[in-house]
Amino acid sequence: MRRIKRTLHVAKNDLRIMVGDKIFFFWTLAFPILFIVIFGVLYKAGDNDPDVARLTVVNLDQGRWGSYFIGKIETPGIAVTVTGEEPAEYGRLLVIPADFSARIEARRDQALAFKKRSDASARAAARVETRLMQAIARTIGELVLYGPGDLAEFLDGHPEFKDLVVVKSEFPANTVTVVPSGFDHSIPGTTIQFIMMMVMIYGGITVMEDRKRGVLARMLFSPMSAGELFRAKLLGRWLMGLLQALMLFAVGKIFFGLDLGSVPLALLVIAVFALAMAALSVFIGSLVTKEDVIIGLAILLANIFAGLGGCWWPNEIVPPAVRGVARISPAYWAMDALHQLTFFQGGLADIAVPVGVLAALAAVLTAVAGKTFRIRE
Amino acid sequence: MRRSAHILLNDVRRHVKAPWAILIFIAIPLVMTGLIGVIFAPRTEGSELPPIAVLLVDNDKGLAAKLLVSSFDVDQMKEMFQTTVTDEADGRKRMAKGKASALVVIPEGFTLDLLEARPVTLLVVKNPAEQFLPDIVEEFMATMAVMLSGVVQAFAEEVRGIRAMIDGPIDRIPWETLGPEFGKAQKKIAAAAKYLDPLLLRLKEEETQAAGARPRITASHLFSEILPGMAIMFLLFIVQTLMRDLLSDREDGKLRRMMTTPLRPIELIGARIAGGWIMGLAVLLIMVAFGALVFRATVGPFGTFLLLAVAAAFWTAAFFALFHALVRNRNQAGAVAAPVILAFSIFGGSMINVEAMPKAFRLIGILTPNRWYIDSAALVRDGRFPLVGLIVLVASGLLFLALAVPALRRRISV
Repeated sequence: MRRIKRTLHVAKNDLRIMVGDKIFFFWTLAFPILFIVIFGVLYKAGDNDPDVARLTVVNLDQGRWGSYFIGKIETPGIAVTVTGEEPAEYGRLLVIPADFSARIEARRDQALAFKKRSDASARAAARVETRLMQAIARTIGELVLYGPGDLAEFLDGHPEFKDLVVVKSEFPANTVTVVPSGFDHSIPGTTIQFIMMMVMIYGGITVMEDRKRGVLARMLFSPMSAGELFRAKLLGRWLMGLLQALMLFAVGKIFFGLDLGSVPLALLVIAVFALAMAALSVFIGSLVTKEDVIIGLAILLANIFAGLGGCWWPNEIVPPAVRGVARISPAYWAMDALHQLTFFQGGLADIAVPVGVLAALAAVLTAVAGKTFRIRE
Repeated sequence: MRRSAHILLNDVRRHVKAPWAILIFIAIPLVMTGLIGVIFAPRTEGSELPPIAVLLVDNDKGLAAKLLVSSFDVDQMKEMFQTTVTDEADGRKRMAKGKASALVVIPEGFTLDLLEARPVTLLVVKNPAEQFLPDIVEEFMATMAVMLSGVVQAFAEEVRGIRAMIDGPIDRIPWETLGPEFGKAQKKIAAAAKYLDPLLLRLKEEETQAAGARPRITASHLFSEILPGMAIMFLLFIVQTLMRDLLSDREDGKLRRMMTTPLRPIELIGARIAGGWIMGLAVLLIMVAFGALVFRATVGPFGTFLLLAVAAAFWTAAFFALFHALVRNRNQAGAVAAPVILAFSIFGGSMINVEAMPKAFRLIGILTPNRWYIDSAALVRDGRFPLVGLIVLVASGLLFLALAVPALRRRISV
């Protein structure tokens, strides 16, 4: 019992010192929030998620079919701007030629120029293109159905094309009910990234400095053993990671409506992940003797792990080979578990594998950090 | 001058002897460039995204359902979609774990309903954790739905006739009466062929460029675009680390000892700023050389690029000279420098593409060296001379230098 009290006392003291540093809040709270806002806004309003894909149509048609065809293109999610000449600025442009109606009425095939700017959103272009294909299919369908006679009179009256087959989309049962916002993606990613970075930097540097300044050696004059000291250092860094996650999740909940699914399970994921990072920070702090090297290593590792683990961009766009490599990143498993909770309202069984992997990693890193933990230079 | 050169050489030697921090900081931008480049580099033509995992559930097993399922087997679609045919329970279980981008469910009675020209609904269950790929599946299915609707309406009458005839037991099918129905269908097919072969309306796709826009990026273009942003960000980190000697010498008492020699403060200041400048330049060139070798990143005409690198390294050295003259101690320097550098990097376009930023962020970016360096590097790559960028970097660098030197002299004299 006394041992536990001593360990807790040192760990709490470490946490108090770290929290007492004013810049700590910049790094653990202010800066991650800036990241959350920027990436949240980019996810939401950027090229990635256009609410409406814009299409400029240059209608040069001399007859009535041009306007008729444009009507077929105008569907939800597409904003059509019709002009009489090709503008200098556009993202996607469809040219309806002057003889459009004449060719249709003569049943002569034609190719419509569809121009896409190379630097414009590929996703919006894909949406516009599929809608154009649908418009073509509808128009040709109507012609096949109702156009055996004189096509010049076709537009004067004919039954509408019926969408007999419709597509309905939904999310899996018992998951989300609304489309997740950009913040639902950016908050877990940023939290994981900054836990890695800050626990490694702060935790590593303080272990190194305590050793170099002889603080660790002096603490052994107390009834503490080296093992207790190691556990206390590990615990202090683990608490720091937890505290940071709690603050960021609270901010996410209050200001950005973050829904983590099961909060206790999300905290379990963070707890196991933070333990692995705490062990890594003690390990780095025990091996390295220069502050700059610890900072550099922490930034390098945190960025690689975050990039591979899906903290910055959705894993869906990552090539399959890179997704395979990503499994070496602790962030990958943490993000996988958080996604299960956030997007799929998963339970303990759903996160068992990623949490198990993280727990195994934490155990290995703790064992390695314990072996390499040094009291003196 | 000799004394300054001596200090400078000594500093270089010292940092070369303990290179780990600098090597790691050099490695970071290269690793980041590699990672981002590998993920976002354009892949095979026509397929900018990885294959989309789609689960197909055919609860109907009829002809129309088979046609729909086989539409995923067309060569172009095979590249785009990675389909797995499964049953609904398994499909939904997998979707509940996010194991595919989308699940397409063809309902029971799909073919029969279509034959009866009754409305039918195809269900697309989308992965909520994904933002792009499920939408592509939905759009594809919507296109298929339009096509099927057209076909069904075109042949509804004939199909209804045939169905009525074949609904009974096979030995009672009036085979002789099927002939006229097939005949009608044949006539319709012949009529439809006028619109379908060749297709009456097609799209002729063309990729265009706005005036002044850069050509479509290749993998090496992408690396060339990412590297300058990363390089300037970590140049700032590295020069800040190198120039921290201005403070540590004072805190360690080395400065006082140095000042007992005939060394004049201005010589020491000059050596330290020149050291930051020269070592910063060397680091920048190493990053660029490595980027060129490994990622085939290009910099444009080397002479012009060198000029830009000299200006960027000078700005960085002058800025951190002033910075270290203003902060109280090493701890404060460490605590303030990193946020400043990261703010420069976020707003200046090292971390996020400037074009993707909100307008306000872009405006703030003008105040950062990252933005000027990144924009100028892009101009150099395009073979243009980055006059404005160079003027801004050199002029603001000179201003920082003019402010830093007297401030540092005061600190050294204390």
